[in-house]
Amino acid sequence: MQQTNMIEIKHLQKKFGKFEALKDINFELGTGEVLGFIGPNGAGKSTTIRTILGLIKASAGSVSVFGKDAWTDAVAIHRQLAYVPGDVYLWPNLTGGQTIDMLLHMSQQKHSQRTDQLIKAFALDTGKKNRTYSKGNRQKVALIAALSTDVPLYIFDEPTSGLDPLNEVIFQEQVHALKAQGKSILLSSHILSEVEKMGDRIVIIRAGEIIESGSLDSMRHLTRSQVSVETTQPLAQLTQIAGVHQVTFGNATQTKAEFGADTEALNTIMTYLAQQHIVTLKTTPPTLEDMFLRYYDAKDTQKAGVDL
Amino acid sequence: MSVFAQSWTLLWLNLRKDWLKILVWLLVLAGVFIAVAAKFESIYGTPEQIKTISDTLMTPAMVSLFGVTPTGVTLNTGIVFASEMMVFWAILMIIFNYSLALGASRIPEENGITELVRGGYPVGRLAPLTAAALELTVVNGLFTIITALGVSATGMPGIDPAGNWLFALVLGLVGWAFGLIALIFAQLVADSRTAGIYNYLFFGIVYLIRMVTDIKNPDYTWWSPMGWVEKAEIYTYNHWTPVWLFLILGIVAFGIAARLNVTRDLGAGLIHIRSGKKTSHFLRGPLSLLWQLHGVSSLLWLVGLFIFGAMYGAVFNSIGKIANTTPMIQKLLGSGGLQHLATQQLLSFVGILGMIFALVAVLGGTMVLNHLFNDERAGYLALIQTRAISRTKLFWAYTLYSLVFTAILLWAGLMGTMVAGNAVLTHTLAYHYFNDVFISMVAVALLFVALNAAFIGLAPKFHGIVWIWLMLSFFISYFGKIMNLPDWSLNFSAFNWLNQAPLHDLNMTHFISVLLVAVVLLIGGYIGYQKRDLQER
Repeated sequence: MQQTNMIEIKHLQKKFGKFEALKDINFELGTGEVLGFIGPNGAGKSTTIRTILGLIKASAGSVSVFGKDAWTDAVAIHRQLAYVPGDVYLWPNLTGGQTIDMLLHMSQQKHSQRTDQLIKAFALDTGKKNRTYSKGNRQKVALIAALSTDVPLYIFDEPTSGLDPLNEVIFQEQVHALKAQGKSILLSSHILSEVEKMGDRIVIIRAGEIIESGSLDSMRHLTRSQVSVETTQPLAQLTQIAGVHQVTFGNATQTKAEFGADTEALNTIMTYLAQQHIVTLKTTPPTLEDMFLRYYDAKDTQKAGVDL
Repeated sequence: MSVFAQSWTLLWLNLRKDWLKILVWLLVLAGVFIAVAAKFESIYGTPEQIKTISDTLMTPAMVSLFGVTPTGVTLNTGIVFASEMMVFWAILMIIFNYSLALGASRIPEENGITELVRGGYPVGRLAPLTAAALELTVVNGLFTIITALGVSATGMPGIDPAGNWLFALVLGLVGWAFGLIALIFAQLVADSRTAGIYNYLFFGIVYLIRMVTDIKNPDYTWWSPMGWVEKAEIYTYNHWTPVWLFLILGIVAFGIAARLNVTRDLGAGLIHIRSGKKTSHFLRGPLSLLWQLHGVSSLLWLVGLFIFGAMYGAVFNSIGKIANTTPMIQKLLGSGGLQHLATQQLLSFVGILGMIFALVAVLGGTMVLNHLFNDERAGYLALIQTRAISRTKLFWAYTLYSLVFTAILLWAGLMGTMVAGNAVLTHTLAYHYFNDVFISMVAVALLFVALNAAFIGLAPKFHGIVWIWLMLSFFISYFGKIMNLPDWSLNFSAFNWLNQAPLHDLNMTHFISVLLVAVVLLIGGYIGYQKRDLQER
């Protein structure tokens, strides 16, 4: 049978004592897909991933990877995947290079040309002891080991939390390259913009529950930039433009304004602003928090009978 | 003095962090000490009882274990008590202070707490180190006061108020001074594990100097700070010289530690971390990883235990001598009979050494095994557990390494004793005696390691119980006879289940039972490890 889903999670629950870390998790990762897995800190992202990896056992529900059970077939599954944890801790007395080679050996892989390319790209000094590495450098060790492992599935848990913007870009390029090769990727993050750049589809988790999943396009309504602008001409008509929300004027002449702008309406809005002669303009990309706020807005609208 | 700013605040924080640990240790250290003192008159109250025990304590074998018992004075209950307790209690004080000193210096620095405190708040450069020294002072001061008052209250015959205070003070000061020396080692290296190894290496050296000089010529025992405790000659002469010596040693040690502390960077050690290999063909799985991480220290343990054993062996010619032999007895026994008695005495001592080596071997073995749990909690194992390495492989790699390592350690200690002992003895001891001790003690040692493995698999939080039972067993076996502990309590010690060798045949029922229990524990631990969640950092 053709395996279409790399990961399938159905009604996953996980309890730690009385605490319900995961209440009801359902999602799947298709072959060749890049799935963004987002949610605020403590929402259950890492717990879900650790269950997928068979490090912890589901209290209820099922988790299968490559059609196999995540808990009982962990080793067989691990042969086919590479993983980078959010917080990378490495044996202090090994060097970065030794760690990378050991991890590759453990997946029956070899230190390849690609490994060398990645070491060069991330500019990692592999001769140093792990003890002396910063958080970002430890993350690089784990990233290089994972990215030079040739497997169909990659799981990244907040992989760029310690990386500088330059290395973040390198990581994004690598993910694009993997995607081009038809690899499947689960990418967890609390930074929306990061997932936006790479993901085909997004799953949003909050307090142990999946509250939204779908393609990025279908969630455009949830991504709204915050714009702050000053012009020479009054911005009286701003409120009439579709896609502009919650306008507040900064002065009586209406030349200063702050508002939320839907991503798809940005072009129209900017054209109008330009006509009014922009003095200063600042746009802030939507934060996860905004998105949740929007999400609940959207929910209310839905209740009111408006189709999304 | 801004470098010391907020030292008192940090002391307060340290005490709040460590209060439970301090309370438990003080309860045990001072409490058991006072309890023994209270019971001592009923054990060694009469002159006959004192005569019996002092004859035993004056044999070189006992001198090597407990230190010198004064001669040329009339022994009383108090003097016997001091002779029995001083060296052993000094060891316990040192272990406790080592743990406190590292916990207040290198460990918080390793965790980043020192950086937070020093970097984010107006805290002096030397404040963390000063707070550590103050904590040692406060805790050992408490021990001294409680113990001195407690022993005074027992009214044991032969004690005097000055002696009570000196006794408690010397014990407090030996711990204090060694704790301050530990602060020096904490400056040298960046990781607490290596700092701990340096501490115990130093302790091992000064202990061995004390042991050898006590047997060969007690005048030289002054060379070992560990030996100073005996020189107070509590209840006999009550010498105060050791007090001044420990005070000087402690203050100098703190001075050196402070000097080193200001010359180094926060989070770094003075000994620089070298770079290493950029690639590795050797590291392929858990076993090669274990060897890479613990191979060198394992070899050091082996060499260390061999030397430890050899030092005991080196004094076998003294230990073999029969104390208090009158010409009358010599005539009665004849040279053959005397030789037989000497050999018996030596062999009985080899049995005690076997137990000591077994204790050290278990410590060495479980330290490696505990990495299976500690590395899991530290987050190191997450990366290899998500590679194609099964839990089965991981569990057995660590467990088998520890079991084999423990057995080899024990053997190395006994071989050290045999080689050095037979070099100094005219009538050498046959290998089979040492082998008998090895066979019986290895079963006990493996039982402890297996129990530790069971805890890691089934209830990792409680694996400290193994140490408690190990220490209790050792205490019971070490002191059991000379303190006349009741027979039922002797059975709590796993060492006593199989301590018949080399003078008597091994109790096969006990031997097989111990091994069977060990196997059951290993399997239980394995099943537990398969089933439980892996801990997150």
